[in-house]
Amino acid sequence: MNLIKRLGLTAAGALIAASAVSAAWAESAAERAVKEAQKYKGQTITIVWEAGLQSLDPLNFSGPLWEKLTGMKVKVVEVQTAEMFTKIMQEYRAGTGAYDALNVMPSWMPDLANAGALEPLDAYVDKYGYKDEFQKIAPIYRDNWAKANGKIYGLPDDGDVFIMYFRKDIFEDPKIKDAFKAKTGHDLSVPKTWKEFGETGSALTEILKPQNVYGAAFFRQPPYTMFMFQERFRNEGGKFFDAETMKATINSDIGVKVLTDMRNENKFMPPGVEQWGFVENLAAFMAGQTAMTISWPPYGRWAAGYGTDDKALNWVPKSTVGGKVGYALPPGGHPELAAGFDLSIASTSKNKDAAYLFIQWLNSEDISLQRVKLPTTLRDPFRDSHYTDAGYLALWPDAKDYLKTLKDASLAGIFDLSVLQTDKYEEVLRQAIGKLWAGEDPKVILDAAAGEWDGITKKIGVDKQKAVYADWASKSGAYPK
Amino acid sequence: MTSASHADNSGGAHHPSRRMPDHNFRYWIIAPSVFLLLLIGLFPLIYSLVVSFQQITMTDYDTSFAGLTNYAQLFDDARLWQSIAHTLIITIIALPIELVFGLAMAHLFLERMPGRQIFISLIVLPTVISPVVAGATWRLLFDQRYGPINQVIGWFAGHDVIMLWNITPHLVYPAILICEVWQWTPFMFLILLAALSNVDKSLTEAAELDGAGFWRIFFKIVLPAIWPVMAIAILIRGVDLFRIFDVIWALTSGGPGTMTETISIYTYVQGFQQFESSYTAAIAFLIVGLMSVIVIWAIRRMGLAK
Repeated sequence: MNLIKRLGLTAAGALIAASAVSAAWAESAAERAVKEAQKYKGQTITIVWEAGLQSLDPLNFSGPLWEKLTGMKVKVVEVQTAEMFTKIMQEYRAGTGAYDALNVMPSWMPDLANAGALEPLDAYVDKYGYKDEFQKIAPIYRDNWAKANGKIYGLPDDGDVFIMYFRKDIFEDPKIKDAFKAKTGHDLSVPKTWKEFGETGSALTEILKPQNVYGAAFFRQPPYTMFMFQERFRNEGGKFFDAETMKATINSDIGVKVLTDMRNENKFMPPGVEQWGFVENLAAFMAGQTAMTISWPPYGRWAAGYGTDDKALNWVPKSTVGGKVGYALPPGGHPELAAGFDLSIASTSKNKDAAYLFIQWLNSEDISLQRVKLPTTLRDPFRDSHYTDAGYLALWPDAKDYLKTLKDASLAGIFDLSVLQTDKYEEVLRQAIGKLWAGEDPKVILDAAAGEWDGITKKIGVDKQKAVYADWASKSGAYPK
Repeated sequence: MTSASHADNSGGAHHPSRRMPDHNFRYWIIAPSVFLLLLIGLFPLIYSLVVSFQQITMTDYDTSFAGLTNYAQLFDDARLWQSIAHTLIITIIALPIELVFGLAMAHLFLERMPGRQIFISLIVLPTVISPVVAGATWRLLFDQRYGPINQVIGWFAGHDVIMLWNITPHLVYPAILICEVWQWTPFMFLILLAALSNVDKSLTEAAELDGAGFWRIFFKIVLPAIWPVMAIAILIRGVDLFRIFDVIWALTSGGPGTMTETISIYTYVQGFQQFESSYTAAIAFLIVGLMSVIVIWAIRRMGLAK
C-alpha cells in the first residue's frame, strides 16, 4: 500500500513537473516578455518611430496595450523618415540616453552598427528565449535585415516589398484580349519580364485610350525610382561594384539599358508621371486610371477597401477598383525589399533590458500578427505565420492571393544595397534619376554617377568598404540567385 | 557740499581700493551681457572654425587634425562652385525684378485711392507666409495633374499642355523665379512705399512747374531721396537671395539632378544628409568670407557707410 501510495505520489509529482515543463514550453515569446517586463513596472521607455501613419501603432495600439500588461509606459518620438538616421546618430554622439528603442532601416545597419550606435541583440534573444520565434520570421527578412558583422542588431519588423498590382477586369476582358492579340500578335497576360511589361503597357494604353485608362503608371519621383532602379538593375543581371577593385559598375550596358527603358516607358504612362510620388500614383490606380502599377503592400489593402473608412486614412482616395485587383511579382521576379524597418536598441539606452522586452513583444508571433492587420499603420506581413493566418485570409475576398504574392516575394526578394554610408550612394542614384527625367543621356548620367560612387568609396576607404560589401553580397537577398 | 567733495572727504586719494569700482563700474555692468553675447555668437563661430580643420563626419569618430584638406577640397568641388553659380543666377535675375516691380507698385499706391489700405494688406500677404509653405503651394500650382497653371495655359493654347515645371530644365528656373518674385516683391513694395511717401512733395511739384518730365523728376529728385532706404532694401534682399533655401527645397529639392542646387542647399546636403561635418564647416566659412566681401563692397558702393 505504501509502495502504491509512494508510486502514486511519484507519478503525480512527475505529472506536475511535466505539466510545468510543458507550460514553460507553451509560453510564447510575447508572454515571456510581458512576465519579465513586469519587473520594470512604472518605468518609461522611449522609442523612435517613423512619423505619420506608422506611429499610430505604438500610439494607439501597442503602446497602451504594453502599459496595460506590464505597467511600463511607452514614449513615442515621432521622426520624419528623412531625419531618422540623423536623429539617431546625433543622439548617439551626444550620449544622453534619450532613446531606448529604435526603428532602423536595414540599409543603415552597417553605419549604425559600425559606429556603435546599436546594441547587439544576440545575448538578449538567448536570455529571453526568443530564438524560436525569431527563426520564424520569413527567411528573406531574417537572413538579410537582422545582422551586421555576424551579430543581430535588429528584429525585422516590416515586410516592405514591391508588388505589382494589375486590373484583373482588364486582363480578363475578352474584347481587350482580342484587341491586344490583334495589335501584338500574342495573348494578353501579366508581364513577367520588363520587355513584356513595355509591350503590354504600351499596347494597353493605346487600346484603353477611349476610356482614358493608361497601361501603367509608377511613382517616378527620384526617391522611389531609386529603389526601382536597384531592383531592375539586379534583375537584369547588373552588379553594383566589381567585388575585387570596388570600382562602381552601375554604368555597365545593363545600367544604361535600364535607364533607357525606364524613360521610354514614361511615353505610355500618364503625362507628367515624372512628377508622381506615392500618393499621385495611388490616386490614379484607385480611380481606375491605370491598368498596372508597382508599389509597397498597403496599395493592395487599400485598393480592396480594407480600412480606408478609418479616420486616419481619410486622405486615401476611395477605391473604385475593389475586387478587380490582381497581385503579382514585378517583372523579373525578384522584387525589391525597399526600405523596411528593424526594431533595435540604442547602445546608449539606460534601460536596455526593458526596451528589448518591448521590442521582443512587438515582434513576437502573437503581437506582430495583430499589428500587421492594423489597417492604418503601414506595417506589412513579415512572418511565415502572417501569410497563412486564417483571420488575415478572411479580411477581404482576394486576401489569399495578396498574401500568397507577399509570401512569394518573401522567397525571391532582393534587399537594398547596404554598405557604409549607403545614403551617399543612394543620393547619387536619386540625382541620376532626376537627370534622366530632365532628358540627359543615360550613358553620360551613369558614367558620372559611377565616378561619384568611386569617389565616395575612395573617401571611405576601398578596403574598409570592400569588406562591408562582401558581407552584404554574401547574403541571400543581395543578388538574384 | 557736493557728493564729489563728500567722496573726497570720506576716502579720497587715501583709499584707491574703494574708488576703483566706481571707475570701472560701467564695464562691470555690461560684462555679463558681453560675455553672454560672445558665448552665444562667437563660440559657435570659433568652434566651427576648429571643426573645419578636422575630419569629423557623423558616421566616424575620427577627430584628428586635417590641416587645410577641407579648404583645398573646396577648390576641387565642382558641385560647390556650380551651386554658387546657381545662387548668383537667381540673385542677379530676381533682385532687379523685385526692385522694379516693387518700385512700380509703390508708385502706383502712392496716390490716395479707394480701398488703398485693403489692397496694400492683400499685396503684403505673400511676405508673411513661410517660404517653405510658399514653395509647396507653388509646387501644387505647377503640378501637371492637379495644378491650375497648366490648365489655364491649356485653355489659352486650345489643347492640353504638358509642362513639368519642376523637372524640365528650361522651366525650373522660371518656376523658382516666379515663386520668389511673388513672395518677396511685396517686401520691396512696402519699404519703397514708405520711402516714396517721405519724398518732399514741394520739390517734385516745383520741378513739374519748371517743366521737368516724369523720368527727369524721378532720377534727379525722387531716386536720390529714396536711395538710402532703397539701398538697404537691395542689400537685405540680396543677402536673403544668396541664402535662398526653402522655396527651392520645396519646389525642386535642388533638382533635376543638381541643376537648381544653391549654396544653402548644397551646404545642407553636405552637413545633414552626407554628414560631412568638417567639410560643411569649411563651406560655411567660404560663404562667410564671400558674403563679407560682397556686403562690404556693396555698402561702400552704395554709399551706406558715409
